[in-house]
Amino acid sequence: MKLLQKFNRRWWILGLLLVLIPQIALAQDEAGSGGGIEGIFQNIVNVLNLLIYFKIGGENGIPFIVLWLIAGGIFFTLRMKFINVRGFKHAIDVVRGKYDDPNDEGDVSHFQALAAALSGTVGIGNIAGVAIAIRMGGPGAAFWMTVAGFFGMSSKFAECTLGQKFRIIKPDGTVGGGPMYYLSRGLSSIGMGKIGKGLGVLYAISCAIAAMGAGNMFQANQAYAAVSNVLPFFNNLDWLFGIILVAIVGLVILGGIERIGSVAGVLVPAMAVIYTIACVWVMLVRFTAIPEAIATIIGSAFNPQAVAGGAIGAIIIGFQRAVFSNEAGIGSAAIAHSAARTDEPVREGIVALLEPFIDTMFICNLTALVIVLTGVYADPTSAELDGARLSAASFETIIGWFPYVIAIAGFLFAISTMISWSYYGQLAWAYLFGDRTVNVYKVLFLTCGFIGTIINLDLVLEFSDIVLLAMSLPNLLGCFLLSGIVARELNKYMTRLESGEMLAEIEEVREPVLK
Amino acid sequence: MSWLKKKSVLIPLDFSELSYEAIAPAREYVEAETGLTLIHVLASLHPADPAAMWNTLDDEQRKQKVHEFLAQKLGEMGYKEVQIKVALGDPSTEIIDCAKEIDSDLIVMPSHGRKGVSRFLLGSVAERVVRLSPCPVLILK
Repeated sequence: MKLLQKFNRRWWILGLLLVLIPQIALAQDEAGSGGGIEGIFQNIVNVLNLLIYFKIGGENGIPFIVLWLIAGGIFFTLRMKFINVRGFKHAIDVVRGKYDDPNDEGDVSHFQALAAALSGTVGIGNIAGVAIAIRMGGPGAAFWMTVAGFFGMSSKFAECTLGQKFRIIKPDGTVGGGPMYYLSRGLSSIGMGKIGKGLGVLYAISCAIAAMGAGNMFQANQAYAAVSNVLPFFNNLDWLFGIILVAIVGLVILGGIERIGSVAGVLVPAMAVIYTIACVWVMLVRFTAIPEAIATIIGSAFNPQAVAGGAIGAIIIGFQRAVFSNEAGIGSAAIAHSAARTDEPVREGIVALLEPFIDTMFICNLTALVIVLTGVYADPTSAELDGARLSAASFETIIGWFPYVIAIAGFLFAISTMISWSYYGQLAWAYLFGDRTVNVYKVLFLTCGFIGTIINLDLVLEFSDIVLLAMSLPNLLGCFLLSGIVARELNKYMTRLESGEMLAEIEEVREPVLK
Repeated sequence: MSWLKKKSVLIPLDFSELSYEAIAPAREYVEAETGLTLIHVLASLHPADPAAMWNTLDDEQRKQKVHEFLAQKLGEMGYKEVQIKVALGDPSTEIIDCAKEIDSDLIVMPSHGRKGVSRFLLGSVAERVVRLSPCPVLILK
């Protein structure tokens, strides 16, 4: 009887969802493309655009929120004296486990924390997002993505250091960390308790909503694009694909079937490796054209043709797509990084700076090179291709069957990113409304994932962009105010690291274990 | 007043100050401190929690840690002989199950006064416990 009760509790929500979803789909069909769900979303997007996307410097100026992110990246790079360069080697040493101390508090090793954070960042954005950037901002946008990735490493360092510093260890041994904690606890430690509380709530609201967009609707939308590209069967059955995708994610986050999650966890890194090899393969085939491709990317970064707003337009698009992909300045990764087992906040921050490097400077650049090398983006006959479809078409010119791999990789990337973001969103929701109502959030999350598959890319992208970028407002503001603490901690840490006493400490601790 | 005395009283704890404050009034109802049972209900980990992803912390370990934490905390508060239980799942369901299992005569808990959205969405744990409890429930205000 008890078993039955438990069973019911878990499944009634999923059942309800399955009944409701076709209703929504039908309602949408009846309403046509102008009204219904798309109309509602368009209205939300319009209001948000007005609030945070207003342009500074006239019609062709830079949107406020993009300027905010650029300023954040540059500020932290200078304030932390190029930690993204000087911390790089140490980051790799730490990830390799050289400084792991099993007696420190926390749940996972440095490597495990980095991998957990990466599963949220490396998503279909790395395949589709770059294509979107190049489509909108020309090849030069890829250059600005790289620049954004470089500065993003410093923002990421600052937020993840703070995430570790102001985390709490709960009675059950799990860790509570991330922007909600460092905004409220951190700012109250420097006498700004009220501001901190306000920013924490603001952050939680934007995080709960953003998780629905970039971490959910966009993923679902592009996963559908990648799969229907090779399986024409799905072409008019977007709602069916949506149900399948949502059901799989739902089984993991509502049904607690962790097995699917861990399978995705194994397959995603494998897919990333296969994807990288394919990129290298394309580069080898077009080896002689590489210098020219790089020249195209850099040349058009400063002098783009047919891009609205010229070089400024390319910068805006590049930064926006880079942040969308690596989440630097957004604060979400600090949640995963705060679970690392260490008593040195700076150490985990340094590990975290590898994330924008791997995600944007490495994987995104590979995709960009492939797209530019194959030249599909410039071919007038494929002008209607965008996102995942453009990437797939680019690979197809060299490796005929590769769109299938993109379909599988895209599907898996989307699932793992959706699972990760449902976690971030759930934490934000719980911060606002308490732990007990998280199932309500999960149902909302899955509903949005479904909607994301059936509405068009432009709208999904616009909504996802604006709500994700909104997270950077409270997050970076808090990080600016707390940057003094980060800089002090960093200086102390670096002095101790350079004197060599840190490694000695670790050796000392290890000895008894060896005996 | 001895006819009012109960053999077994259950107190759900959620680590909030209010819930700890329920222990003192509950103590009035039992002869001996051993008649008090305190339960904390843990939620299961989200599959994307790094600890769940890498399986570095399982539910048994989490229960064990909460048990140790509560034993120490309650010991400091002067309750050294109370029974401590830790369960995993939906709070109201687990509280009711525990009340049946230990055959409790009374459940004592604060109302928490949840407001707004969460009140509307799910109601309070206290409400559900009152509705489903096998024994009287004392809601502290």
